[in-house]
Amino acid sequence: MAFERLTADARAAVLAASEDEARAEGSATIEAEHLLLALAAHPSLEHLGLDRAEIEGALAREEERSLATVGVAPGDYGSPTPTGRPRKPKLATSFKVALHRAVTTAQVCGDRRIGAHHLLGGVLAAEHGRVPRALRIAGIDVAELRTRL
Amino acid sequence: MPTAPPGLEDDPADGLAAVGALRRLADRVEDATVARAVAGGWSWTQIAEALGVTRQAVHKKHARRLSAAGLESGDR
Repeated sequence: MAFERLTADARAAVLAASEDEARAEGSATIEAEHLLLALAAHPSLEHLGLDRAEIEGALAREEERSLATVGVAPGDYGSPTPTGRPRKPKLATSFKVALHRAVTTAQVCGDRRIGAHHLLGGVLAAEHGRVPRALRIAGIDVAELRTRL
Repeated sequence: MPTAPPGLEDDPADGLAAVGALRRLADRVEDATVARAVAGGWSWTQIAEALGVTRQAVHKKHARRLSAAGLESGDR
């Protein structure tokens, strides 16, 4: 699996942080958006000025808007349930795709090791899905952000 | 709550995003409602029948989670 290529530091910290984000949300899966939240709080990416709380808010708004397009208001179920899942969340396809893209980018750049910036690049490469939709809502220019990686 | 601007619902991207959002919402509704049912004395058999799934399925999905939260069904 691609994760072996990460530095031990990046691997442990980022995966654990992504899992924490998924658990906090009561999610049974670790999605690309959980990786994004983890990376937004990553010390090595601090210079990019990503605001974890802002992205979290944008993800919530993205969900509300998506539900609104089919006439659904989340009501009292809008926030995660307080009873989390004891089972370990599984890596979702969106997470694996982001990871795969990070590996490919690193290879293209000739970097032997995958760092947090490669991972963020992998997350930001998605054209569709919750991540680009939420970032658009947050007013973050993804194309510009990618040039700074 | 913000609503979609007129015409936006015609974009397949919104409908596709709604599918994921509905699945997550359904999970949250199930989690919260099963917890409420168990707290209200419902058995796993009754909850399973109401959800239209097997007792084993509902037990496997929720028993540990609710037990960790201090909730036990009558027919554990």
